[in-house]
Amino acid sequence: MWGAFSSEWVKLQRRSMLAWGFGAGLFFPLLATILTIERAVRNPAFTGGHGHGIRVTYAVLEQATGLVHGVVDVSSLIGLVSLCLFAAAFSLEYSQGTLRNLLVREPRRARFLGGKFLALVLFVGLIVIIAVGISVAFAFALAPGKGISTAAWTSSTGVNDMLQAVLHAFIAAVIYGVFGAALGVLLRSPAVSIPVAVAYFLPIEAIITGAIWSGGSNWLPDHLLVALAHGGNGDSTYSHAAVMLVIYAVAVSLGILALFRARDA
Amino acid sequence: MGRTCDTMTVELPHIDAAGALATSAVRPIVASRLSKRYREVLAVDGVDIDLPGGVVGGFVGPNGAGKTTTIQLLLGLVRPTSGTATVLGESIEHPERYLRRVGALIESPSFYPALSGRRNLEVLTRLGRLDKSRIDEVLALVELTERANHRVKTYSLGMKQRLGVAAALLPDPELVILDEPTNGLDPAGIREMRGVMRSLADRGITVLVSSHLLREIEAICDHLIMIDHGRIVFQGPIGGLLDAQQTGLIARPEHAADLEKLAALCIAAGKPARIDGEVLRVAAPEEWAAELNRHAFRAGITLRGLEVTRATLEEAFFAITDTDTTADVPAGGEIA
Repeated sequence: MWGAFSSEWVKLQRRSMLAWGFGAGLFFPLLATILTIERAVRNPAFTGGHGHGIRVTYAVLEQATGLVHGVVDVSSLIGLVSLCLFAAAFSLEYSQGTLRNLLVREPRRARFLGGKFLALVLFVGLIVIIAVGISVAFAFALAPGKGISTAAWTSSTGVNDMLQAVLHAFIAAVIYGVFGAALGVLLRSPAVSIPVAVAYFLPIEAIITGAIWSGGSNWLPDHLLVALAHGGNGDSTYSHAAVMLVIYAVAVSLGILALFRARDA
Repeated sequence: MGRTCDTMTVELPHIDAAGALATSAVRPIVASRLSKRYREVLAVDGVDIDLPGGVVGGFVGPNGAGKTTTIQLLLGLVRPTSGTATVLGESIEHPERYLRRVGALIESPSFYPALSGRRNLEVLTRLGRLDKSRIDEVLALVELTERANHRVKTYSLGMKQRLGVAAALLPDPELVILDEPTNGLDPAGIREMRGVMRSLADRGITVLVSSHLLREIEAICDHLIMIDHGRIVFQGPIGGLLDAQQTGLIARPEHAADLEKLAALCIAAGKPARIDGEVLRVAAPEEWAAELNRHAFRAGITLRGLEVTRATLEEAFFAITDTDTTADVPAGGEIA
């Protein structure tokens, strides 16, 4: 598996991968952090955007969780970056015709798949860590200018909340990645797998829960991933979201493995 | 021993892969009744192959004959519908047991365009946990050292093809399988590729090279496997195949006016002949050239040219696969 991991790492160092992965992965959290702080309102009675990241009060930002407020709100966008990254990494091997060369050098397909997956997990992990790191740095830089107190951010609770935000964003990104990898292997084309993935996780699931099955927000993956990133929300508790997502991830992973092993290259 | 192909009167002996291994030194490739069906299409139809070691084996057939599918079966990339095969003595059900000793170029060379040639080879070296020092060796062998650090998207098709061969040679293989390696190469590149393949064989490496360009195969191979419509129609030494094909004689009399008289002499001797411009083409073996010369001399005809023509591999292929044409079974070869 180390060979597949190490080999994938070379491919992930392509400029396009670095630019696209880190560019998109850093852009959304940074933008969310800047907008959250710059658009924060002092009036404590304001409730218009509370909890939705568009406009929050100073009081909300001055809590221990305020440091990563913006990051948490856009964790699903980091997840979408991960989704596209995994879908592209797997489907490009088919569409470029490189998969056959790779399987000649590593015919043990489970090891190949596992090594490649772990390399992508590490890559996404780095994106999440750097994204949160830069967002935190910007939050500390911008907050004093707006008169927002950062005292709670540096408390043990604040640090703990930040680490939890990193962990949740990372787990969510990995699970998004599992779905991306599945679509990449299934559809074998980035031109198909990425639009299908984005279409499902952006409008389609929202349409399903909004118009067809309102109870789906407690069972469908995108809603569960948002709940996970927020440590639980109105749709699902944290533990329910975590258990359901683990079940999804294991089932989808086993499905990918079975398909990849059984199908002709 | 003329045979029409549609009657299939000469059966290929069934090759038992396991038996072949038990009774002889390990053959690089042994396939027995290997078949692959894609829904309605039987791409490979009960193929038996026995490739001896140390040869440059040509795997020829028209586009769509089943060459690439057979190669993919041998490399464990696709699973057979039925039949068995061994590569370097190991079953194709366990490609991990032999692929470390096999190099392969499959169809068009596929690489990561944004990575350099060297980095592309590094991807494969790391994946196969191969010796990194091989990268420089194989780049030098295919003369890509100077362009090794350039991105593959800047390479010509010929350079990509050479990089593909370099990739195939990375594991220092005992068996190299090249699928259409001269595609996209200019004449100089084709000549270099022939040299590479010959040098591999000289080092004891068995090479199986597929191509639909029969002239290329004729120039570089000493063993031949012919496939058509998913079935092996011939396998054996290439020399035996060509020697067994009809040779012909071309006689050029000093005076064109003697052509008809010379043709009549040949026909009278039982050798079909036809006038083709200023020459007479006679369907006769090489040994009859002296006889023809004597006939012409006795009739007062002076020949200013007399040459023997041999069938090309292309002609031999069509002779075997054309159902209306008879083909001779050469010594050491088998026609199915």
